[in-house]
Amino acid sequence: MAAFRAGLVAALARSADRVSIAGQRSGPGSLVAYTSVRAAHDLPRHLMPGPYPKTEEERAAAAKKYNIPLEDYKPYPDDGMGYGDYPMLPKKSQEERNPYYQWDHSDFRVNWGETLHWDFDMYLRHRLDTSPTVVPFNWIVKVFFGFFGLMFLGFYLGEKFPSYAPVAPKQYPFNNLYLERGGDPSKAPPEVKNYGFK
Amino acid sequence: MGAHLARRYLGENEPDPLNIPASPEGEHFKERVMVATQEQMNLAQLPLAQRDYCAHHLIKYMKCKRDMYPNIFSCKHERHEWEYCQHEDYVQRMKQYERERRLLLRKARKEQMEAA
Repeated sequence: MAAFRAGLVAALARSADRVSIAGQRSGPGSLVAYTSVRAAHDLPRHLMPGPYPKTEEERAAAAKKYNIPLEDYKPYPDDGMGYGDYPMLPKKSQEERNPYYQWDHSDFRVNWGETLHWDFDMYLRHRLDTSPTVVPFNWIVKVFFGFFGLMFLGFYLGEKFPSYAPVAPKQYPFNNLYLERGGDPSKAPPEVKNYGFK
Repeated sequence: MGAHLARRYLGENEPDPLNIPASPEGEHFKERVMVATQEQMNLAQLPLAQRDYCAHHLIKYMKCKRDMYPNIFSCKHERHEWEYCQHEDYVQRMKQYERERRLLLRKARKEQMEAA
């Protein structure tokens, strides 16, 4: 346990050293302040989106930064969600992209240096698929609810108007299987006599 | 076949399907004879639904199948005996239903006569 604690302190001190090198905090001993610093696996500051572009020059610079033609560049609305100047790319899954093209990353279907969608991890090929369906979506909904609606209508009608064979219940010997059906052997069973037509 | 559907469509009186006596009452009916004993049925490990008045045929059929294995087609006779017994039992149930239905009709007719 002591060895583990020593290792933990050493690791924290190392992280604190790195933070101090990056110039975020002064001094390796401020471990409490370290909790408010962004984690090392997060994006470094110079790769985070810049501020929302207000002038035409800023727009052009952002479009160039994201490797997008200026007429296609459209940032997310500046509504305080922290998107900054990140471009609003079309909501299309990677599955829709051409599988026969020689992508730099064939499993992601992206090229090197290409700007990814903000929710790129949501549109991976094994997650959401936005490719068009075989039949229109409203037709799918109609078939689904039509089928289950008819089924439940049938169940309801079957409950309201039950079907039964026009026969009397089956006769069983030994007082209608009194003992076999869990009757008390110490008591006299209710006597059931069965008669036939022949 | 299907006469009960026509009756239901025409709205004729029918006995309550959940409340029919299983056996007819009266001195001119013969009491049914159970051949297999409770011990025999226990030893044959028959399921509850098959401990009916045909159980002795079923026990013979099962015994034949066991003895003749793997030639399971050699028990045709035993199989027919048991199935015929079950058929007779079902016909008996149909007759009992019809009897209850006619008793119901007769009662209604009597009440009509007395009212008129």
